[in-house]
Amino acid sequence: MRFNEKELVFLSRQPSERAAELGMKGPKKGDVMKRRLVKLIVNFLFYFRTDEEEPIGALLLEQCRVEREDNMAFSIAFLDEAERKYLFECDSQEQCLEWIDAIVKASYEFMRKNLVFYRTEIHRLTGKDPLEQYGISDETRFQVNSGFPPLPPPPT
Amino acid sequence: MKLNERSVAHYATCNSPPDKTGFLWKKGERNPSYHRRWCVLKGNMLFYFEERESREPVGVIVMEGCTVELCDSESEEFAFAVRFDCARARVYKLAADTQVAMESWVKALSRATFDYMRLLVRELERQLEEAQQLSQQSKNKPKKHMTQGGGGGGGGGGRLKPVLSGPPTLQGPQVPPSVSPEEGFLSLGVPGKENGVSWNKPAGLVNGEGGVSGQVWETEGQGDSARPPPIPPRRKTPGGSLESPVSPETGCFSKLHDWYGREVAELRVEWLQSQ
Repeated sequence: MRFNEKELVFLSRQPSERAAELGMKGPKKGDVMKRRLVKLIVNFLFYFRTDEEEPIGALLLEQCRVEREDNMAFSIAFLDEAERKYLFECDSQEQCLEWIDAIVKASYEFMRKNLVFYRTEIHRLTGKDPLEQYGISDETRFQVNSGFPPLPPPPT
Repeated sequence: MKLNERSVAHYATCNSPPDKTGFLWKKGERNPSYHRRWCVLKGNMLFYFEERESREPVGVIVMEGCTVELCDSESEEFAFAVRFDCARARVYKLAADTQVAMESWVKALSRATFDYMRLLVRELERQLEEAQQLSQQSKNKPKKHMTQGGGGGGGGGGRLKPVLSGPPTLQGPQVPPSVSPEEGFLSLGVPGKENGVSWNKPAGLVNGEGGVSGQVWETEGQGDSARPPPIPPRRKTPGGSLESPVSPETGCFSKLHDWYGREVAELRVEWLQSQ
């Protein structure tokens, strides 16, 4: 699958939500724990060798599961291959919890669901749809029942 | 640079609702001709497939750090371009079949950044807080024993918040810090392990329906604004005496506890009925 790698590398150099040196172990059998600079930017987790400017790789944080593994470690697994876990080791319990929280909140899906919740509540309390002023109230992704399998598209 | 490509491709086809889908003409990366692609926009990811029924995307354009602009094309009538800011960045040239479709795509792609969504969510969060405060003010009539005041069951005036997954497997669901009867109670959400929010719309009471003695007390007792509820007024006993059957001075706490509880429960039912 092609992707705009150069632009993604450029993104990895932007200010991050959170960055730290953590231990990181890949999901494959032979992978070992290595010290990496890990940066959370929008819904991507970039990881670098500690002295390098170009990232080794990026993880898109959508449809993933974050779990506490141990006192100071957490894992990220993707829903399509739930047994393959990326393991991260932090320096403290607090840091570990902060990273888990940040990653959970770093997905577009998370934000979308929050948006639907707020929209519903505001409408309930005020009788008004807050998305109307932005001209986006009809968009499928903001509907309350979104998240179910999409309806077949209308015939063109 | 590595990317979790398989999972990214899975995201393209999973059942999370897309922001926009449709056919677009896309100019080839090496080949200058335009190819018809089925395009799926999800958040800041624009996927393109060979066919609508294709199981895997041909590719994806990460829509961060780019601008979307109309452009002239010799071969395509409704063309627009996605231009990235970085040095030696490429320009993706796309074209729609109609003016309406082109405008719709340009609009959608311009808003396809993570930050746009984040700003929108924060704005609605702020609007919700405002709406809740206004709602709280209009409901704060003096009540005999429902000394919720502005604090409710804890600071914040009965705010509803989605139950966040938080540290999903570490602890139970994060119960919203303050819950007051006026706003209703969120039933305890099941902690979602996936990075989405799972919450339940207000349904049922966390602390049990009114009538259970002591329950309302416990809610009031939590949080910063806890203060002892005022002593209920003395009630006439059947014999006409002004002495209550169980006076506040009674040494038997459980009797006192039950008596207060009953009193409050009755008032609560009255109040609920008056709503």
